[in-house]
Amino acid sequence: MNRALVLACGNDLRGDDGAALQVAKCLRNGLCEPDTCICAEQQWTPEMAEPISKAEVVIFLDASASLSPGEIACRQLQPEAGGTTFTHETSPEGLLSLAKELYGVHPERAFLITVGGAAFDLGKGLSKPVRQAIPHAIERVKALLSGVTLPPS
Amino acid sequence: MSKTITIDPVTRIEGHAKITLQLDDRGEVSEAYFHVTQFRGFEKFCVGRPFYEMPYLMERICGICPVSHLLASAKACDALLAMKVPKPAGKLRRILNLAQLIQSHALSFFYLSAPDFILGMDADPKERNLFGLMHKNPELGRGGIRLRQFGQRIIETLAGKRIHPAWVVPGGVNEPLTVEKRDKLLQQIPEAIQIAQKALAWFKVEFEKFREEIRMFANFPSLFLGLVTVDDRAGYYEGKLRFTDSLGNIVADKLEAADYPQYLGEAVEPFTFMKFPYYKPLGYPDGIYRVGPLARLNLVDNCGTPLAQQEWVEFRALERNAVNSSFHYHYARLIEILFALEHIQEYLLDPIITESHARYSASLNNLEGVGCCEAPRGTLIHHYRVDEQGLITWANLIIATGHNNLAMNRGILQVAKHFVHSEKLSEGMLNRVEAVIRAFDPCLSCSTHADGQMPLKIRLVSSEGKQIDEICREP
Repeated sequence: MNRALVLACGNDLRGDDGAALQVAKCLRNGLCEPDTCICAEQQWTPEMAEPISKAEVVIFLDASASLSPGEIACRQLQPEAGGTTFTHETSPEGLLSLAKELYGVHPERAFLITVGGAAFDLGKGLSKPVRQAIPHAIERVKALLSGVTLPPS
Repeated sequence: MSKTITIDPVTRIEGHAKITLQLDDRGEVSEAYFHVTQFRGFEKFCVGRPFYEMPYLMERICGICPVSHLLASAKACDALLAMKVPKPAGKLRRILNLAQLIQSHALSFFYLSAPDFILGMDADPKERNLFGLMHKNPELGRGGIRLRQFGQRIIETLAGKRIHPAWVVPGGVNEPLTVEKRDKLLQQIPEAIQIAQKALAWFKVEFEKFREEIRMFANFPSLFLGLVTVDDRAGYYEGKLRFTDSLGNIVADKLEAADYPQYLGEAVEPFTFMKFPYYKPLGYPDGIYRVGPLARLNLVDNCGTPLAQQEWVEFRALERNAVNSSFHYHYARLIEILFALEHIQEYLLDPIITESHARYSASLNNLEGVGCCEAPRGTLIHHYRVDEQGLITWANLIIATGHNNLAMNRGILQVAKHFVHSEKLSEGMLNRVEAVIRAFDPCLSCSTHADGQMPLKIRLVSSEGKQIDEICREP
């Protein structure tokens, strides 16, 4: 069982939408502890509820179109049943809720880190502000994995 | 005064579509149209590309069934090379195809359709969804998740990644299966079989509650089409095409997929971008036929694996001849999951499966090639022409959902005539019209990046454009 789980979501053929995937790639290359499982996918899907239920800490990573380019936001998550009727999009809170509903447990600590993007058009590569934000996002992940807590929002 | 009802978008399907119902002066449904509102152009923008790129271009058509496009395309390229693939590669390709069938059917049954079975067709859509299902029947939810995971895991183990893998190549596959990986997959099959059997046992009781839907959901005579092997079993990767009718008679048999222009026509209608394939000898639209799980189980006299065979016998006993209700696509899907698990087990236990010779190479030998396989939703045909340099000059794809287009439109009309009568619209009415489409599990966008939570709106409009009624489903 992995103590920690990092779930990155994005599309690296859509410019800055690939920000979280880049963070995951760096983490995989030895920037985090071996008991951390890192998954990088185009979507968060219901199948992820099972590994989520087995982790002590889960960090969701995503790009954001509403933050300023390069801005990083982080918040703690609680399970929340999603009212979605569609399966293309499952929210982090919905996945925590699914883990609780189906497997009876959810991680004690769960966070969402988002990186503001500048361009989401078709094409590979990250914009300069997002590239510069990647190391900071990695530091946030490492801090949360090491037990750092967030102030109440 | 005639009126029109528009359902836009249709939810819990793969892709974007809308439905229009035309009411006559008495308020009865007179016409129904299923509109596919996307135009994607894959057949055009591949022109000029080298043929060996085609499997990787074409699999991008879909995020749910990329493996089907990968395989049909690779088979069309094999035909351009005029070659057969090594035996281990052929079996590995078959396993990959069946693994995809498992994950796609699990998505369709457990995630998209089971909320209707568990919570009822009339339930509040805020509850009638995946979360509602998981809350009401967590065991079924866990089973669905496990089956989908397992199908995806097989694909990832063989092909390196779950979505859009590049492992299948013209001439074979680019990496053999190791003994260690084979053994890991084999260990997980008994649990998956048990889950599939439990789901079948549950559904066989549950569907009795849907007698009216069974009677009215695209329940009419039609032809059925699919691949059949030389030993008369459903051929998911190989075989020749067979048409049967609703009495179970073989209408045409041993048809080469490469000869499809002789027996398949493609009509177009102004209200949709999806073509209407039909069986040419009967003309359009009388040449209506269905493909996919229901068709495949109707086409043969033997399912082929022990546990699935027992289920198939029960399934075929539902009706004297062919099973005609499209509601039973759901039932057929569960039987196919069981069949696929057993069949994968057989392939994995064959010592040849871990042999290292997985690819032949050849030069271009033909200027035209056709590849055909059974995708989860039905028969898939890729047809390419190339120039002497191997550059694509023309391509035609007939996708599974397209084959079912005539049947889906007729099914909507049948359901709407039965359930939609008054000027006052209801949620249950709307959902049944959508649910008949869901039974076919259409894959319309073949894309994983559709918008997430979508509002649903039905409007009842008079022929003068005056709104009579409206119901909205908020995102």
